Amino acid sequence: MDSDIIIKLNKVNFYYGQSRALTDITMNFRKNKVSALIGPSGCGKSTLLRLLNRMNDLIDGTRVEGEILFEEKNIYAQNVDPVEIRRKIGMVFQKPNPFPKTIYNNISYGPKLTGIGVEDMDTLVEQSLKRAVLWDEVKDILNKSAMNLSGGQQQRLCIARALAMKPDILLMDEPTSALDPISTAKIEELIEELKKNYTIIIVTHNMQQAARISDETAFFYLGNLVEYNKTEKIFTNPDVKHTEDYITGRFG
Amino acid sequence: MNRHTKEIIIKYVFFTFSLVSIVVLGLIVFSLFREGLPIFGKVSVKDFLLGMEWYPTYDPPSFGIFPLIIGSLIVTIMATSIAVPLGVMAAIYISEIAPQGIKEILKSVIELLAGLPSVVLGFFGMVVVAPWLQDTFDLPTGLNIINASMILAIMAIPTISSISEDALYAVPREFKEASYALGATKFETITRVIIPSALSGISTAVMLGMARAIGETMVVLMVAGGAAAIPEGLFDSVRPMPASIAAEMGEAPFRSAHYQALFAIGIVLFFLTLAFNLIADYVSHKFRQIGSGTL
Amino acid sequence: MENIMKSFKNNSMQWRYFKQSIFFGAVRLSAFIIALALGGILFYIIVNGIGAISWDFITKPPTDSMTKGGIMPAILGTIYLTIGAIAVGLPLGIVSAIYLTEYARQGKVIRLIKVGINCLAGVPSVVFGLFGLGFFVIFLKFGSSILSGSLTLGFLILPTIIGASEEALKSVPQTFREASLSLGVSKWQTIYRIVLPNALPGILTGSILGIGRAAGETAPIMFTAAAYFTAKLPGSIFDEVMALPYHIYVLATAGTNIEATRPIQFGTVLVLVAVVLSIDLIAIIIRSYMRKNKRW
Ligand SMILES: Nc1ncnc2c1ncn2[C@@H]1O[C@H](COP(=O)(O)OP(=O)(O)O)[C@@H](O)[C@H]1O
Ligand SMILES: [Mg+2]
Repeated sequence: MDSDIIIKLNKVNFYYGQSRALTDITMNFRKNKVSALIGPSGCGKSTLLRLLNRMNDLIDGTRVEGEILFEEKNIYAQNVDPVEIRRKIGMVFQKPNPFPKTIYNNISYGPKLTGIGVEDMDTLVEQSLKRAVLWDEVKDILNKSAMNLSGGQQQRLCIARALAMKPDILLMDEPTSALDPISTAKIEELIEELKKNYTIIIVTHNMQQAARISDETAFFYLGNLVEYNKTEKIFTNPDVKHTEDYITGRFG
Repeated sequence: MNRHTKEIIIKYVFFTFSLVSIVVLGLIVFSLFREGLPIFGKVSVKDFLLGMEWYPTYDPPSFGIFPLIIGSLIVTIMATSIAVPLGVMAAIYISEIAPQGIKEILKSVIELLAGLPSVVLGFFGMVVVAPWLQDTFDLPTGLNIINASMILAIMAIPTISSISEDALYAVPREFKEASYALGATKFETITRVIIPSALSGISTAVMLGMARAIGETMVVLMVAGGAAAIPEGLFDSVRPMPASIAAEMGEAPFRSAHYQALFAIGIVLFFLTLAFNLIADYVSHKFRQIGSGTL
Repeated sequence: MENIMKSFKNNSMQWRYFKQSIFFGAVRLSAFIIALALGGILFYIIVNGIGAISWDFITKPPTDSMTKGGIMPAILGTIYLTIGAIAVGLPLGIVSAIYLTEYARQGKVIRLIKVGINCLAGVPSVVFGLFGLGFFVIFLKFGSSILSGSLTLGFLILPTIIGASEEALKSVPQTFREASLSLGVSKWQTIYRIVLPNALPGILTGSILGIGRAAGETAPIMFTAAAYFTAKLPGSIFDEVMALPYHIYVLATAGTNIEATRPIQFGTVLVLVAVVLSIDLIAIIIRSYMRKNKRW
């Protein structure tokens, strides 16, 4: 097996109650790459993303078939604790969702509660905020409520919060869709920076964004994986006609 | 102990605690039956429920609670017929008509009214309403059905009004807009669109208001007069079931027939209000979906 | 809809507005009557009760077969019973609500529990009194005591507390829970650190209203805790106590000289109303403050 593969999906089906949201997905995500998931809304991008850190467990009546291997272990196996998985696979949501706590406590929250043995919390907070390129803006107001930050700052705070857990993978579900263009540009730069150390899987609605920041792109349609290829290839010369139609805007 | 096990234990402990309401209901039934059922070895269920004479301390005693049941029903029905129009109309005013400021004030008024202890209302009925009734209508006593019904109505109004208001508030805005778009006045919109859509909620409110009135103790104990006979007019005294229990339990010798009979009245009261509540619960679930079809 | 349209056309605009103004008048009047009832009762109680209130009235026990003196033991008893009711009802209620909103999957068991809670909420207070007598006083042999009364009152307010807590927990945005869980924080820690702190003001508001109710209840404590008169203050939770609501009832219906003690009765009523309504007012203030400062 390819040693730079970090997540491997094998014939994954996913159901909300009776209705199937994902059909027979088989794909691999590579280490230290940015992979983008694109497709029309409702095609199952978020569902797939939330499968990877078992966030779908929170929804009543859902069911998974097939295997999802993270570092070669099936994360849906009987004896796996989803909480452990989530420590290694961080997540950033569509709408910034800082806790109504101080900036400092937003960052320290995860490390403190999960007891991952932090020697120096101040350093970790600083490091995480620097990685999220937020440090300079907030270093003097660490004890102010995170709710006072702008939307773009809040989203970077959420990224910093996820980074403080030192995850291997960062899942991002349309992280810029609720932000203005300037904040969006900042986050895109940040992603560029982060991929040196992290594997990033990002759902995006915005095709230019996928083209700009990702190494690989997967196109979904109605719960099926239509095409998964190098980003360059997808956007210049896709294998599947359907993909081309979508990229060129011939359908919604 | 690892974290995973701890989480599971917490979950099951919480589950156990969440059963407390059911357990308490069970214990209520258990206690009432344990102390009350023995009376049915002495009188038949039929004689108990339909017997016309409540002379628990006579020799031989007579345990017919029919006059008490009638007393309860009559004050409940009277109180409801005062409280429903007032409560529902106030709810309409609050949810559809009143300006914001008045709305907030009225909501607080109703909340405070709900907060008035029943013994205080009973006291008010005794010292204010009773003498007034007695003088105005030249009665032997002002402690009677009318008085009890008026005070009970005050107690039931907050329940009826606040639940009705929730129901009115929940009527989808599109319904109202559709009606206005057809040129209906506010009055027509309220009576033909909003009230029909909220009807199940309002019915629930009425049921719960009645349950509140039938179970209320201090008011009927203090102002209904206490006569254990079938009343002939609205100025007669009655002795509703809760009043009997509260008034006599102190004197009834432990585990005597009288004591058991009072618990048995508790059983009747419990199941009567349980029925009211189950019906209210059923109505509110069954008809909760307000479809456009109701228009 | 068509019928409605037709009837509009059959009626002149004037007639329609006339009906409307009658109706508006009626609903305004209803609201006014209710406000007047509350205002009238409060006014009457204050005017008649204020004269009896003095430092001695609040801090001294009754004397001369309760025809003179103060009501301190009754105030104290009500405080004990209320605290006891909180100690029983609040933890049980909050824990129940947490299970129902955070852990339970929708299904038959949950539906059963919810119906149970509704039914419990509808049980008349005098039946709670009988239950307290039959179960705590007799079956568990706690006797007529602070303990029995507190347990009875605690279970009486349990549904109110569960309802308020459920609502408060549901109002905490799901995104907070997701954010915490996505960091690998466990469910219980998420509830304890994120959900509960944010729900707490709401839980308190609703619960305080329930507590106000407990403080003013008479029927549930009549057979389980309340004493007609006790010379000494309670020494333990197994002692009987006097309580404000029961004291009012006793003075107003069974005193040695009912007419002569009217001032004391009004004074006691005023104290009870002041206690209960201040408890309610605290809840109302917390709530309006919370609404203004809501951050999400
Ligand atoms: N909680 C849910 N319950 C039921 N169905 C859902 C839920 N979330 C999403 N779905 C359905 O699953 C499908 C995929 O949704 P989603 O993954 O959110 O799409 P995307 O993120 O690509 O827009 C949609 O048809 C959606 O309606
Ligand atoms: Mg999505």
